[in-house]
Amino acid sequence: MYGRRASQLLKDLSTNEPGQLSSFDTDAFDQVIKECDAHHIELQGMMRKMQEEGLDMQTTRNADHYGAVIHHLALIRNKRCLMAYVYNRAEVIQSLRWKVGAVLPQEVQQKVNYSEEEYFKNHSAALESYMSEMEVDLTVDMVPPKDPYIKVRVLDDIGDVFLSDQSPNLARHSIHFLK
Amino acid sequence: MASYYDIDDIIMEDELISTVFQIGANGVGMLDPGAERNCVEQGAKVELPFWLAHELHLRQAVAVTVPPCFNQKTRKEIQADAACVDLKSRCSYFYELGCKVAPLIGDRTIGSFLLYAFTGRYKEVLSKAHSAAFIMAPKFLTLLTKEETRLYEAARSSMTAFKKWRVGGPRFERASILRKRKPTD
Repeated sequence: MYGRRASQLLKDLSTNEPGQLSSFDTDAFDQVIKECDAHHIELQGMMRKMQEEGLDMQTTRNADHYGAVIHHLALIRNKRCLMAYVYNRAEVIQSLRWKVGAVLPQEVQQKVNYSEEEYFKNHSAALESYMSEMEVDLTVDMVPPKDPYIKVRVLDDIGDVFLSDQSPNLARHSIHFLK
Repeated sequence: MASYYDIDDIIMEDELISTVFQIGANGVGMLDPGAERNCVEQGAKVELPFWLAHELHLRQAVAVTVPPCFNQKTRKEIQADAACVDLKSRCSYFYELGCKVAPLIGDRTIGSFLLYAFTGRYKEVLSKAHSAAFIMAPKFLTLLTKEETRLYEAARSSMTAFKKWRVGGPRFERASILRKRKPTD
């Protein structure tokens, strides 16, 4: 209660290696959702009690009000923990697309939830459609090349050019190695 | 709201702070293990997680006391020798918690105290991270807070990258084809 179970969920997530995914803890997730429901029921009970006593909801500050406030805050806290859990896992899945490619490896497949699989597929599809429209594959060459020079053949006579470290004479059909 | 999804922030806010309730609250007896009926009495001393204590403080419902990791005993220990104090067992989110608690309890000295502790320990962290031996000083690692551990890991990884670079030879290896430059014109 009061967000302890949800914090436990997040602590388990934080003990993972960065970039690795553990299996989706559906039991803990459902438990936290049940706690949220319990808090909500208590909250409604408090508010009904205050209404029955005929007190003004906006301004009274009695014991029931504070009890309701505490339940409300616990509910928001649980929500935040659940959102953070799902969000951080989604980030890892996103990075997996760039590292591993369009198909998830088998051991990762077992660990992800159904909705996470859908997320991966949709993200992948969006990426593919963008890349096919631009006709460029963004996922190759993730590390910058070690060798900074490229081979260049000149098509038109340009003459002397001053680059940052060399000043070649770019005559037609000559080949140079430039940065 | 950049820290809404941040896991460290959420776990940090779960640290317990001891508070004194200024009002009674119904239906929340689970917070106070000593409560007989299902409510918290006015004037009851309860240990609340930081997120709850912070919100209730904003509504003037609780009075927050100094957490034990910032009390006189810890301060004296840090003044004696900052680097050897086991902050991880007291509170592994020492610095973050200090920053957040300071406005709640109205203590102006916490800021300078945190800075003093951090500068004293940072020297140790850096020197240990740059020294050669590998699984060295595991005992030392158990004294560090989360933030310091992250700094330590970062320094370690940059040291290994540096060593690898030194052993590996010149950074840009020109491909063999570049050796003969084609004559221009």
